[in-house]
Amino acid sequence: MGKEESPQITRRTTRSSSSTPNPKNGVETAKATESHPPTINDLVFGGEPIKLEELISSFPGRRIQILELLRLLGPLNSPMFPLFLYGGTSTGKTSIILQIFRHLSRPFVYSSCLTCYSPRILFESIINQLLLHRKNANNGYASAKRCERPSDFFVSLREALSSVLNTLKGHLGKSGSKKLAGRVNGRMIYLIFDNLELVRGWDKSFNILPFLFELNNILKMPEVGLIFISKVSPDAYYSNMGYTEPIPIFFPAYTEDSLRQIFIRNQENPRLYSSFLDVVLRPFSRITRRVDELSTSFSPLFKKYCEPLSDSGLVANEDMKRKLFSHLQPHLVLALNEIFRVQSWPSPGVEANQEKSKRKSSANKFGGREAFEEIDFHMSTSAKYLIISAFLASRNPATLDASLFDSTGGSDNRKRKRKSSEKSIEKKETAEQELLMKGPGTFPLERLLAIFQCITSVAESSPDEDQQNNEGLGAGNGDSGLMSDVLLQLSSLCNANFISKGGTCPLEGSTRYRATISEDLALKVARSLKFPLSKYLYRG
Amino acid sequence: MKGQENPAEDALILLRSRICDPSFVFTPFSDSPDSNYSKLKFMISSSVTEACNNSALLLGPRGSGKMAVLELVIRDLLAEHVDMISVIRLNGLLHSDDNCAVKEIARQLCVEHQLLFSKMASFDDNSQFMVAMLRECGLAHKTIIFVLDEFDFFTEGKQRLLYSLLDALQSVTSQAVVIGVSCRLDADQLLEKRVRSRFSHRKLLFLPPSKEDLQRLLEHILSLPVDMSLPHDYAAEFNAKLHRLKEIINALQNSDSTVENLLRFLFHAVCQMDLESGFLSLDNFRTAMSSIQRQPKMEYLQDCSVLELYILVCMKRLEAKEQNSYNFNSVMKAEYKGIHEAYQTSDYYVRNVCLRAFEHLVQLELIGFMDNRGNNQPIEFRAVKLLISSHELYQGLKSYRSCPAILRKLVDQ
Repeated sequence: MGKEESPQITRRTTRSSSSTPNPKNGVETAKATESHPPTINDLVFGGEPIKLEELISSFPGRRIQILELLRLLGPLNSPMFPLFLYGGTSTGKTSIILQIFRHLSRPFVYSSCLTCYSPRILFESIINQLLLHRKNANNGYASAKRCERPSDFFVSLREALSSVLNTLKGHLGKSGSKKLAGRVNGRMIYLIFDNLELVRGWDKSFNILPFLFELNNILKMPEVGLIFISKVSPDAYYSNMGYTEPIPIFFPAYTEDSLRQIFIRNQENPRLYSSFLDVVLRPFSRITRRVDELSTSFSPLFKKYCEPLSDSGLVANEDMKRKLFSHLQPHLVLALNEIFRVQSWPSPGVEANQEKSKRKSSANKFGGREAFEEIDFHMSTSAKYLIISAFLASRNPATLDASLFDSTGGSDNRKRKRKSSEKSIEKKETAEQELLMKGPGTFPLERLLAIFQCITSVAESSPDEDQQNNEGLGAGNGDSGLMSDVLLQLSSLCNANFISKGGTCPLEGSTRYRATISEDLALKVARSLKFPLSKYLYRG
Repeated sequence: MKGQENPAEDALILLRSRICDPSFVFTPFSDSPDSNYSKLKFMISSSVTEACNNSALLLGPRGSGKMAVLELVIRDLLAEHVDMISVIRLNGLLHSDDNCAVKEIARQLCVEHQLLFSKMASFDDNSQFMVAMLRECGLAHKTIIFVLDEFDFFTEGKQRLLYSLLDALQSVTSQAVVIGVSCRLDADQLLEKRVRSRFSHRKLLFLPPSKEDLQRLLEHILSLPVDMSLPHDYAAEFNAKLHRLKEIINALQNSDSTVENLLRFLFHAVCQMDLESGFLSLDNFRTAMSSIQRQPKMEYLQDCSVLELYILVCMKRLEAKEQNSYNFNSVMKAEYKGIHEAYQTSDYYVRNVCLRAFEHLVQLELIGFMDNRGNNQPIEFRAVKLLISSHELYQGLKSYRSCPAILRKLVDQ
């Protein structure tokens, strides 16, 4: 079966594939996948079509937009102008339009400019869907047609659309009046382009964005409807050549009532959750109104809120509510100042230790931010020292190195402190201002290594309790043993975006680096090494 | 079956298909003798009958119906002179590259004359084929019409295609008409000297229609046909109600008087038509007007959270203090902290939370970075600027629900 129909891509036979007796298995698996060749019915959303009331009730606060979209899409087989849906993140644009198509059971082709990150992938994805072509082992995971340029895409698109429309017409003739679940409805096909704002960043030489906007005019096929979805408003797409503007539909951020309705859905105890929302919703929506960020903040808070309750199915009365609120309040202030983080799941032993230490420290840190957070990823000691050296190299001007990093470890510069006159205060302020504006400076590799050597030699010689940290630095403090390790660490730190590699300086001809870590992270790393970072930082 | 379905729905589908069909829309513009349609038709038909070459440019703002009128002319000519015309259509957005263009010309010629097209043919093969076809068609007294849409894109680069096309027109044996369509009114100035010398400087200007023309167009599109397809009294009553709606067109014409704007507006209004009553009302038109005339930045401002508004106000104050370049750090340090210390607001959040709000604003394009280099500097250090005017900010704060009074006071200062 497979051999004659496989495409012209010849494959080198690897040792494993030529050793195993392949052909029979290949045929069997091919037969298994071919048993469900895609039909025109697959262009519909699939699953049971839903009724209008269900559609509106599943999207609280979006009744206006849904009705407007339904009106613009119009009755069956009515041509339409291109539509442009825009709104912030997680306002429901994509899910609403897809559910609308599920409700209408009309065939559509969806492609997102996020997953299809280049013109060629976008074009081929659309053509594949239209031609009902699935990439599988038979065709070597190749697309149906190769479309690199808009001109090729246009020709293939026209052919594919005509074939789909012919199938739809034939389908309509055969089906009669019975409407089964998942069957296509109507003679029109719709193309949906999601995440359109990303197209602006693609290679501009192909004029992809004007092409997409003009597609309706160039195609001249009234049975094709175009729908664009974007996070950015339509005025950001204005170009100097103009384009036919699609019809805009705006998805505003949710109001507080709609947010409440959204969050209460799918909760086991809506009344309890509603009283929880009374407490948290307003303060949190002063920070952000996005549903995804709010829900990530709310889920751990709700767990904390329910802690005192023995029975989570309870309906709280006023007294109970006050108690729960006072229990939650300290955590609330904490949570307001945190951005959402994915909680890593520590092992149970570690968790127990953390609980103990938390209970000890929680008495002191009532309502304050936890100052002694750990960095929650692992770094080797030399990497930590390297990061600190990079941070210092970026923050301090190079002229200070000699005084800061002398052989005694550089703690002398604080001994002599003159009384600061007004001029020096002013100079301090302007220097700080400059620091804020300019950002971290660049440094060459030699300077980084010099600082690194200096710091590690200081750390080794200082009488520390946990000496075992320093033993990881390699064979004693021999320079040659350290260098290769350091260079490897440097490249991995660059890959992790802690240090960025800049262009070459034309005078010196070497690459310059820049530390892009925040002061918070540098402090955390220094703390984990018990390194006195603040002594070395240039404060003007 | 006809009587059971809602006549309003039929009317709706009919109106929508009319609005989305450019050839229907522009037909009333083709009757008068000095219209662009007649001039164009005269020019092309005389080229066809007299077996000569010609070239022209159709210029006008986007949505004035240039391609629509051209397609009408071609359709009528194809009906009149059967088998004497073949049409090649190129688009500047797709085919501005010479290789693509010549390949597309060869492909369309092959399709038209039922020849086999090979995708592997090179640029030279294709251009030789094109020249040969031109000669053959000329000998057979068949005119080829080249339609070059988005003509200004073809004038980028070396203009090889234009030169070869217009050069082929100079030979005696060929019979071709080259028509360029462009939105740039100076498209002919973009041509190189040698191309321009081969180009006959015929230009047809498509200007936006006058008020009376627009009224005529409105009636032409919206009047339901009083024939068998719709119940007679419904159609008559519908048409009678159209008279009240003409005044609203004046407001539309003041902002943008092209036909395309009117069509978009009509489409929106027709979609709002109430299917139960079956008639267009003034409300439909008003809704359509307000949704076409949007202020997206104001909409996004209403979507911001209070913290994001704080950041915007801080940035505006920095700009008012004539600090031309500032970044997130200076906004935080100079303004945000200052406001909190001066007024003891409850909205003082830590740096990470503010940075996230800042990133939201960048994503919504209410603020933007001043440089494009981008990736070397962390986001806190890159210079930013406001992408909304202070008036918009002021308006937005005024209409924001539950806006803190402090912000309004700060913006006023």
